[in-house]
Amino acid sequence: MATRTLPKTDVVIVGGGWTGLTAAYELAHAGQRCVVLERGQNRHTATSFAGPEEHDELKYALRHGHMQDLKKETLTFRNNRDQQALPMRRLGSFLPGTGLGGAGIHWNGQIWRPLPSDLEMRSHYEDRYGSQFIPDDLTIQDWGVTYDELEPHLDFFERICGAAGYAGNLNGETRAGGNVFEGQRSADYPNPAMKQPISNTLFGKAAEKLGYNPFPMPSANVTQAYENPYGAQLHPCTYCGFCERFGCGYFAKADPIICVYDRIKDHDNFEIRFEAQVLRVEKSEDGQTATGVTYLGEDGVEVFQPADTVCLNAYGLWNVHLMLVSDLGKPYDPATRTGVVGRNYAYQTVAAVDAFFDSDVITNPFMGAGALGVVVDDFNGDNFDHAELGFLGGGYIACKQYNGRPISYQPTPEGTPAWGGDWKRAVRENYNHHGDLVIHGSSVSTHENYLDLDPTWTDAYGRPLLRMTFNFPDNDRKMGDYVMNRAVEIAQEMDNVTSVSSVNMAAKGKDYSIVPYQTTHNAGGAVMGTDPTTSVVNRFGQMWDHHNVFVFGACLFPQNPGYNPTGPLMGLAYWTLDHMKTDYLSNPRPLMDA
Amino acid sequence: MHHRFSRRAVLLSMGGAALSASMPVRHAFAQMDAEPWAFLTDDEARWLAAIADIFIPEDDHPSASQAGVVDYIDMQLATGYGQGQGLYLQGPFPEGTPEQGWQLPVTPAELIRNGIAAAREETDLATLPDTDRLTWVEAFSKREDPIGDAPAQTFFGELLSLTKEGYFADPIYLGNHDYAGWRMVGFPGAHAYFTERVGDNAPTKQPPMGIAHGQLGHRAPRPISQEG
Repeated sequence: MATRTLPKTDVVIVGGGWTGLTAAYELAHAGQRCVVLERGQNRHTATSFAGPEEHDELKYALRHGHMQDLKKETLTFRNNRDQQALPMRRLGSFLPGTGLGGAGIHWNGQIWRPLPSDLEMRSHYEDRYGSQFIPDDLTIQDWGVTYDELEPHLDFFERICGAAGYAGNLNGETRAGGNVFEGQRSADYPNPAMKQPISNTLFGKAAEKLGYNPFPMPSANVTQAYENPYGAQLHPCTYCGFCERFGCGYFAKADPIICVYDRIKDHDNFEIRFEAQVLRVEKSEDGQTATGVTYLGEDGVEVFQPADTVCLNAYGLWNVHLMLVSDLGKPYDPATRTGVVGRNYAYQTVAAVDAFFDSDVITNPFMGAGALGVVVDDFNGDNFDHAELGFLGGGYIACKQYNGRPISYQPTPEGTPAWGGDWKRAVRENYNHHGDLVIHGSSVSTHENYLDLDPTWTDAYGRPLLRMTFNFPDNDRKMGDYVMNRAVEIAQEMDNVTSVSSVNMAAKGKDYSIVPYQTTHNAGGAVMGTDPTTSVVNRFGQMWDHHNVFVFGACLFPQNPGYNPTGPLMGLAYWTLDHMKTDYLSNPRPLMDA
Repeated sequence: MHHRFSRRAVLLSMGGAALSASMPVRHAFAQMDAEPWAFLTDDEARWLAAIADIFIPEDDHPSASQAGVVDYIDMQLATGYGQGQGLYLQGPFPEGTPEQGWQLPVTPAELIRNGIAAAREETDLATLPDTDRLTWVEAFSKREDPIGDAPAQTFFGELLSLTKEGYFADPIYLGNHDYAGWRMVGFPGAHAYFTERVGDNAPTKQPPMGIAHGQLGHRAPRPISQEG
C-alpha cells in the first residue's frame, strides 16, 4: 500500500508525451485540475537538444541517450508460445523514449492520416472481396470510428505540428502532386512541402514513368516560420540530418514540449511531476471504477494520487503493462481466445531497397530530415486490387533522405564483405551515391500475436515484465514481398542507377528478431472497438470495464495500418478528449452500452 | 621530459608493420599518448589494434588504430556502455535464440576482456605476421565454437561494431582522429545547416567540424616523445 496519500485531483495522467500533455492542455482548459506523472526527467527543447552537442550519433543514435532505461523496465520476448520468452536486455528493434515529451521528441516527424478503409478494415475487405477473403487466423477488425469522424481531429493535429505537405484530396477535389488515395481533407497542410534532394527527385520521376502517383511525404519538419493554434512558435527546418533518435534544438521538428507543454505549463489547472514512476492503477471496492494511481516518487516513497478520472498516456506497450499489473480489464488468453488486454498486438512490416547511383549523382545524404521523402502510396491499404494476391493490406514506398550519420549510414552494394579493405573502399565509394527506399507496411493482427505478463522476470519495481509473443503473419510476409518487388522495379527505373539490392525483414522463413532496429511502431494490445469481447475500450477510448479510465496511443489500433502511427493516434486522442469534454465530464458514465 | 607511459610505444611493440609504416605528425597518440589506458592492459590494447587494423586496414586513409580506435574502445569499455549501462542483467540466463538477442550474464567490458583472454590463449593475434592475421580473423569470423564462455559470433560482432564506431564517431570519443572517418566518406560533421543546398547535385567541399571543433577535436598536437 502507498505510504502517502495526496489530495484528490480531477484528472491524473500517466505519461508526459504527445497524448498526455495534449490531454492535460485540453482538459485543463475545460476546467479540470490535471496532474501529469512522468517517469523520466524534466528537459526542454531549447536547453536539452541544442547543437552541436545534440548532433552526437554515438550518444543518441547508438547508445540511446533519449531512450528508456531497460534496467528499470523492459519486456520479455519470444516468437511463439512454444518458446520461453527471454528478457529484451538491450534495446534494438524499437526505441521507446522517456522524459518530458516522451518518444515525441525523437520521432522523425512523419505525420500521416489513415486511409478511410484502414479504419474499417474487416468490413471494407468483406464488402469488396467477400467474407471468405479474410483468413480465419486473422483477428483484424473495424476501429469503431470512421475517417469522417476523425477528420477534424487529424486536421487539428496537423495544425498543432505545422505540418508541411500538399493535399491530394482537398474537399473532394483530387490534386495531382498530392496523395490521390488519401481521404478527403477539409484543409490543405498549413505549410508548403519540403525541398527534395536529388535521390528523392529521381525516385519521383521513375515512379511517374511507371504510372504511379508520387508526392512529398507529409512532414512535421516545419518549412517556414509558423505559429500553431496553441500559440507555439516553430521555425523552418535546416535539413541537418539529426531527427530520428534526436531532439530538435532548432524548434523545427514539432515536438510535445514546444507545441504543447510550453503553452500549458503555467496554467492554474496544470501540474506535472517528474521521476514519478506509476506502479499501478487503484480500483474502487466494487471494481467498477478507478480511484487513482500509485506511483513511486522521487524520494522513493509510494504515493497514492486519487483522481476522478484516470488517463493512460504511456507508450502503448506500457499502457498495456499497467493494465495487466493493475488487473484492469480481462487479460487475453490465446488458448481459449478469450479476454482482451494484450490481444491484437501488431508491429510494422518493413523492407528496404537500396539503389546505387553512378558518380554523376551526388546525394549529400547528411542533408536530411526525418520526414524528407517522396512517396508512392499506390500499394498501400486497399489502394490496389487484392483479389488475386492472397493477402490483405499494403505499405507505402518512400525514397527518403533522413541522414548521413556515418556510423550507421554505410550503404554498400550486395556482396560487399562486412569488414576489410574491400568493405572500406565500398563504404567510401557509395556514401555519396545512394538512394534509400523503404517499404513501410501494415501489420495484421492474429490470435497468436499478443502481450501478457512474464512468469519469471521482474522490473526494478518488482512487477512482472510484460511478455511479447510475436512473429510475422504469413499474410504480411506475402504483402512485404509484393510491395518490395514494386519498389525494386521503381529503383531499377531510376536514372543513373547502377545496382539495386533489397531486403524484406519479414521474408519467408525469417523469424522476427528483437535485435536489429526496425521501427518504434508497436501497436495494439488495448484495442478500441464496439464489442467488449474483442476490445478493451469503446470507440471513444473509454474502458468498457471502468468508465473513468481513458486510454490513448497506438495500443488502441486493432491492427497496424501501413502508416506511421503518430498522426492517427493523435487524431484519436483529440477525438477522445472531445467526447470527454462535451459528454463525459459533466455526467460520468459509460458512453456506450456494453 | 620522460613519459612514464606511452600508448604509441605499447602498440609499436607488437611489431606489426601497419602502425609503424606511417606515423603522421598528427597522430591519435599525439593526443592521448601519455595517458594510461582507462581499462585495457597493454596486451589487450595490442590485440585490439591487431584485429581492428584487419577490420579497417590502412589504404589512402588511416587504419583503425591510426585513427585512434584503440583509444576509443578503451574509453568505451571503461564508461557507461562497457559497464552495462541500460543493459538489463537480472537473471536467470537461459540460452535463447538469435532473435532474442543478448542473453549473457556479463557486461560488454567483461565480454571483451574474457574474449581476448580466451583468444590469446589459443593464438596471440598481435604476435602473428600481418598475412597470418588476416587468415586468423577470416576463420574467426566464421567460428561456431564458443570463445571461452561467450558465443564467438557475439564477441566478434561486438568487436566489429566497436571498431566501426571508433572510426566514425565524433572525435570527442577519441577515435576518428583528425576526422579520418569523416574525411573518408565526406561527412561534414555536427555543425549542420543545409536549407539552401539540399536540392543540389554537387559535392560538399567544407572540411568536417565535430562537436568540440576548435577545442578538443582540433587541438594542436603534442610532440611525440622519441623515448616512449
